Amino acid sequence: MSKLNPHIAPPAFASRLLRWFCHSDFHEELAGDLEENFLKNTEIYGLKKAKRKYTIEVLGLLRPSVIKKVRLFNYQNNTAMFKNYTLVAFRNLSRNRLFSAINILGLAMSMAVALLAIVFVTEIYSFDEFHKNKDRIYRVNNIVIKPDGELSVPYASTSLLAAQKIREQVPGIEKVASFFKGFYGDLKTENETYSIEGYFASKEFFEVFTFPMVQGNPETALTEPYSLVLTESTAIKMFNSTDVLGKTLLRRKTPYTITAVVKDPPRNSHLRFDVLGAQSTLASETRNSVLTDWNSMWSSYAYLLVSENRNLEQIQASIDQIAKEENAKSQSLNAKLRIERMSDIFPGEDRWNEVGTVMPNQRLSAMIILALIVIFSACFNYANLSIARSLKRAKEIGVRKVVGAKQGQIFTQFITESILVSLISLILAFFLFRLIRPEFLSLDFYISRTTTLELTTSTYFYFFLFTVLIGFLAGCIPALVMTNFKPISIMKGIANMKVSEGINIRKILIGIQFVLSMGFAILVTLTYKQYQFALNFDLGYETEAILNVELQGNDFDIVKSAFIQIPEIEGISGSAFMPSTGSTNSDHAKIESKADSVVVYSIRINEDYIQNLKHEILAGGPINDDLQKKQMIVNEAFLKQFELGSPIDAIGQIVDYYNENREIVGVIEDFHYGTIYNDIQPFAFIQSEGYLNYTNLKIRSKDMNSTMAKIANAWNSIDSNHDLQASFFDEDIERTYKDLSSSMKTYGLLSIVAISISILGLLGMAVYTAEARLKELTIRKVLGASVQSLVSLLSKNFVIIFIVSAAVAIPTSYYLFKNTIAQNMEYTINIGFWELGSGAILVITTALLTISSQAIKAAKANPSESLRSE
Amino acid sequence: MKGTNLGEFEEIALLTILVLKDDAYGVSIKREINEQGKRNISRGALHTALSRLEEKGLLTSKQGQGNEDRGGRPKRYYEVSNKGLAALQEAKEVRDQLWSQVPAFRLQ
Repeated sequence: MSKLNPHIAPPAFASRLLRWFCHSDFHEELAGDLEENFLKNTEIYGLKKAKRKYTIEVLGLLRPSVIKKVRLFNYQNNTAMFKNYTLVAFRNLSRNRLFSAINILGLAMSMAVALLAIVFVTEIYSFDEFHKNKDRIYRVNNIVIKPDGELSVPYASTSLLAAQKIREQVPGIEKVASFFKGFYGDLKTENETYSIEGYFASKEFFEVFTFPMVQGNPETALTEPYSLVLTESTAIKMFNSTDVLGKTLLRRKTPYTITAVVKDPPRNSHLRFDVLGAQSTLASETRNSVLTDWNSMWSSYAYLLVSENRNLEQIQASIDQIAKEENAKSQSLNAKLRIERMSDIFPGEDRWNEVGTVMPNQRLSAMIILALIVIFSACFNYANLSIARSLKRAKEIGVRKVVGAKQGQIFTQFITESILVSLISLILAFFLFRLIRPEFLSLDFYISRTTTLELTTSTYFYFFLFTVLIGFLAGCIPALVMTNFKPISIMKGIANMKVSEGINIRKILIGIQFVLSMGFAILVTLTYKQYQFALNFDLGYETEAILNVELQGNDFDIVKSAFIQIPEIEGISGSAFMPSTGSTNSDHAKIESKADSVVVYSIRINEDYIQNLKHEILAGGPINDDLQKKQMIVNEAFLKQFELGSPIDAIGQIVDYYNENREIVGVIEDFHYGTIYNDIQPFAFIQSEGYLNYTNLKIRSKDMNSTMAKIANAWNSIDSNHDLQASFFDEDIERTYKDLSSSMKTYGLLSIVAISISILGLLGMAVYTAEARLKELTIRKVLGASVQSLVSLLSKNFVIIFIVSAAVAIPTSYYLFKNTIAQNMEYTINIGFWELGSGAILVITTALLTISSQAIKAAKANPSESLRSE
Repeated sequence: MKGTNLGEFEEIALLTILVLKDDAYGVSIKREINEQGKRNISRGALHTALSRLEEKGLLTSKQGQGNEDRGGRPKRYYEVSNKGLAALQEAKEVRDQLWSQVPAFRLQ
């Protein structure tokens, strides 16, 4: 700081540190002394050593007698000041109605999204918390080792055999609860039939999990075969009472005795059931291989209750040993067993064969990140407008400072103000939240199946905490900017003040907002186009006017004979399931003369299918009903894979497929039996052999309503127990891409919020700029400037920001689209200028309209109005 | 009475200020103590002692003029108050009294 020679100065960091911690009463004196010493030392020891000595001295001053007294809340007239702050805040809010409205509306919109996220996240994290032993419960997962040594995605399920082995052999485990997910179908009382779902659970079920009993003994309820545990609501539905112990119910003509009634599993349990049957029942049923087969790991589950002083590594090691022994014994399955904490199940990693629907971790974090983005955007708005308007309040701050307000007090004042604004926004946000809640619940099935978004006391508490936090965040930057105003420069005149720092912050904040808005807008466009693309994808056959009716166990020929009488139905065919809707079926196929077996996808169909859905036949003809001669129709990819040459050459080849030797009787053009996520692999249509589940009706009708009524009538004449389940093929395909449409909806919702917030903010800025430069504009106008030139004068700065934002947003959203939504897709849209540009252009146009509306207003105003006053 | 008793360092500081007469401020006091007492004290330690003495009323201080050498910052000059002089006097008397009673041979 020496003015004599700028090079000989004490280390800047040390002197700044001193200024920071030193009590202001002593700072001048001490800093002076140190500097004097420093100059002397420079002469004696040289600059380097002097600097070091200076730093040491500064550090030596770090002692209680020197350090500032920190007095955060030591104001004697605390309440009075806060009263004053609130009063001033309200006066300010009501004086600047437009700005207050923009701030409150923007905050409320984003807070509604955030409230949603809060309720959602608290609900998700409350899952499985009600189990008393939740910290000691582990689930056993199977990981299948494929023949080539590759590991599968972990399965949530494992075999009952593994559960039994662990129960018998592994030390350090108190209980093993296992269950088989096969207790579904109908339960009959004396005169009623109820459709239920539940598990065959082992007797330890109630000792591992906490499902309190209403009636019965938890320790013995599931011991005896054919015992049955009902949930409270099931018991009331069936018997109108929970006092039902000892009563019997028929399942598949076998009587089960009710031994207990439990409370319904809470909403936040990942295990849900109406009834539990004793697992010991399985031993006396015919399919007892479920209990003893290492390979039946597809719908059974094992949960371990480990002891207090567990050694997980040891447990895992013993379980690995069991897997090793069983793999050696089994021919059909090579698998690893792995244990997983209960708390990692919901929300959790992707597992196959989950017991119920599990919220994937990625979805949860995506939700949180998106909510945070929206919230920050709204906070930026608040900061922006407050900084922009701070000049108008500079005098107030100046006076406060001169009268003796400390920096901390000014800071507290502005934080109080922003917290007030956010509290007001909370009220509005709460109503908005109630409006968008149903929309959100229907967003995708993960959400609708697992959450209710009910409000609890703790969520209200979180709301409040969050609001205060938002108030603090939003108020932080403007409060800091205003705190640093120097009273002297305020008093000299506002015009001379430099708030260049503020302007830069503002530009950056607006820039970030527009990057977000454009990014969301572009993502929505891309996702929408991709969705449309998926729906209109040329599948290689015709889906138009095809109505798929579920047979629901009825015989195909009976259903066909009922439908064939309807004149509007042009064609009837049958299939096991519908292609292009995400379902696939596959097996290894082998041709004797060729070396390797190949995975071939297939669908069972009847003889009319190929013609009904207008598949292009290249050679041969459709299959027929002749069960003596097993037949199949293959696609071009099949020929290529097996190197069968031309379609004609392939006819007559014998393929070993699905345990039969089948003859190729026809070749069809490649078509998309999968979704846009899959490319075309070898495929075959094979004979139905009684496995038909759907009938496909080709309909030509001018009056669809009456045709549908006829179809429903025909259905009711053959099956009065089940309702008609029918949907058009195009609807089925639409349902297949539900995931895509739900991300589209999410991005859509968020982009509306983000764009509205940023446009609101921009409106505020435009109003402010036009107001602040009103005199300049009118003088220019008087001197002859055109309206256009004035508008472009005001818009110029913003346009630069928009261009920079677009330059950031476009590549980022392109990258995001490619790496998230389109990540696993084989077929995607061509992304060109319009796909990327339209979102950005839309946002920029709206923004420019907003600015120019204000600019035009200012430019058109009568000059005398604004110039008269001076 | 507790409080008027001087610590060793406090006594040195007060005496140094007396020695320096009108030129007793941070840097000079520190230099003087370092040279005469053959000890190296930090500015921080000195500050603590001086502010405690001032609190006890044994010192008074006043702000001087700014100086180019100090980056334009003013010096704070210290002066021993009457109470300070009395305290020094008392300390000296106690010591003298004790010294006079120490048998001469013990000192050889």
